[in-house]
Amino acid sequence: MKRCLSRLVTWIAVSCLLAVSNQAARAGIPSRGESDSPEGNLAILVNITNPVDNLSLPELRKVFLGERSHWPNGRRITLVMLEPGQPERKALIREVCQMTESDFSRHFLQGVFTGEVLVSPKILSSPAGARKFVFNVPGAIGFVRASDVDSSVKVIRVDGRLPGDKEYGLRIRPRVAE
Amino acid sequence: MVAQFSRYPSALLLLIVFGVEVGVGMFVIRDVRMAGIEAQQMYARSVLGLRQIGELQYETQETRRSTLYALTTNDSNLQVEYADQSREADRRVSGGITAYLQQARMPNEINVGHALQHDWSAYLAVRDEVLASILEGSAKEAVDMDLKGGVPSFERVREDLEEIKRLYDTQASEQLARVSASSRRSIVRLIGVVCFTLIFATFSVWAIQKSRMLGTVQLAKLQMDFVASISHELRTPLAVIRSAADNIADGVVEGKDQLAKYGSVIRNQSRQMTDLVNQILLFVSTREGRSHYILQPLEVPDVVNSVVENTAGLMREAGFEVEQHVEPNLPRVMGDLFALSRCLQNLLVNATKYGGQTRWVGIRAFREKTGHLGHGEVSISVQDRGIGIDKSDLPHIFEPFYRSPSVRDAQIHGTGLGLPLARSIAEAMGGRLTVESKLGAGSVFTLHLPSARDASRPVASSALGRDVVARK
Repeated sequence: MKRCLSRLVTWIAVSCLLAVSNQAARAGIPSRGESDSPEGNLAILVNITNPVDNLSLPELRKVFLGERSHWPNGRRITLVMLEPGQPERKALIREVCQMTESDFSRHFLQGVFTGEVLVSPKILSSPAGARKFVFNVPGAIGFVRASDVDSSVKVIRVDGRLPGDKEYGLRIRPRVAE
Repeated sequence: MVAQFSRYPSALLLLIVFGVEVGVGMFVIRDVRMAGIEAQQMYARSVLGLRQIGELQYETQETRRSTLYALTTNDSNLQVEYADQSREADRRVSGGITAYLQQARMPNEINVGHALQHDWSAYLAVRDEVLASILEGSAKEAVDMDLKGGVPSFERVREDLEEIKRLYDTQASEQLARVSASSRRSIVRLIGVVCFTLIFATFSVWAIQKSRMLGTVQLAKLQMDFVASISHELRTPLAVIRSAADNIADGVVEGKDQLAKYGSVIRNQSRQMTDLVNQILLFVSTREGRSHYILQPLEVPDVVNSVVENTAGLMREAGFEVEQHVEPNLPRVMGDLFALSRCLQNLLVNATKYGGQTRWVGIRAFREKTGHLGHGEVSISVQDRGIGIDKSDLPHIFEPFYRSPSVRDAQIHGTGLGLPLARSIAEAMGGRLTVESKLGAGSVFTLHLPSARDASRPVASSALGRDVVARK
């Protein structure tokens, strides 16, 4: 009887652990391995002719919030965004702009109205489209998953780090608290 | 040439016509092949080239068209698609230009190819800026840029492509002209050679007919001459015999002595007629290959003596002195005694006919040092110091029925068969008969015979005799 009871307890415990794990996965909480891999990083793209190689996170935030209009070489900055709901966009707004989607939308609506926002973002439906846009426009800046990058565009460093570097700060899924 | 035609006229004519036709055929085939190759080259270089340039024109327009389509929408996704299409088209254009430059050979082709490459690069630089402006949302800026830079550079590209088309057109025209010239050349050659063949064939037929006609006329003339000679040769002794017979019948002849004299005349004239008829029959049988000789080793002095004895009466009557010289220790010769006697007798008779006033005949037998028949050759020559033979007559004296005009004019009787018969006999014995003569100084006829030591060699025989006569 005791043996049967202990087996039942063990089964319930295992089931509970599996259920919690699945819940976490559905909620977008990455496992440790995924969040550390380069594929899980967000790459910031610029045109291959753009002389900028590195931006700090605050500079990057300014760019994506439309507070900078031109690159150092004089080219007009064109923001390339993915459509709302895509994980890369969520990650950028969360990690770079440190906003929610609604805050971000409101910022641009308000900024365009007041004239504080100098750049209107272009909305692309796919990472491939975003990459091609950056390839075609010398002043464009966009973002895609690190695994979607190819040689037609240039990935810039953020705070001196590239996707795949250990301390790279831009991850598609939020960091799980240690 | 006429003689050659008369020998194998049809075969020769056919061979020549066949050769000419083969030559014509080869010319025509070569020209047709050249025309075909040139036509293929024309197709490969001009028609295919024009098609490639047409495709290039389409792709350049596609590049520009796709770029401008991006202006028609504000949707960035669509604009990116149009930009993609434009870049795909421009890659095809660049590939086409590279292929054109690789196959360009002429300097003007290479120059215009490089110009096109340069102008296309210039247009693409503008196109990239225009595309960037469109994607950035600056449509006005894009249009301005296209009007200022894109349109002129694209126009230059279009002109370059038109220039290439003109080059291809020019090349096609030149190649077409070459093909036409080649065809014309072929036709002219064909007509020329056909005309030549016709003329040549006509001339050949005419020459053959003429040769045959001449041969026939000549043969008829010789035969007429022969008949006349024979008639004359027969009529003279017949007249003598008839006259003698008339005298005897009319009782003009008195006494035994006179009767014997008349009998002798009749016998001599009859013998002369018999000899003549025998000679004709012998010639005919030799010519038809019916002569049969019995070859055996003969002593040369016996042969010479036999001939001299046979002709002693004739020589005596004609008042000729015969000088005879036979080298001692001569080898025996292979031959037929009767035939050799006949041969030498003919030569001696001729010597009396044409010996002139010196009335001298020399007959000499000697060993030949370097003869045609080898070291065993023995020669028997009959020499006179008479009228000699003209150089122009020498090649003909051994032809049957031939008689020199000068001899005929001099009323020297003969049949024209003696020398041909003598030569036939010499050749049938495995020997030969030669002549050396100088007009007004006399002639030397030499009979060359193989010695009996060379009897193992296939020399005189009845079969060979027939063969030799037949060849004659």
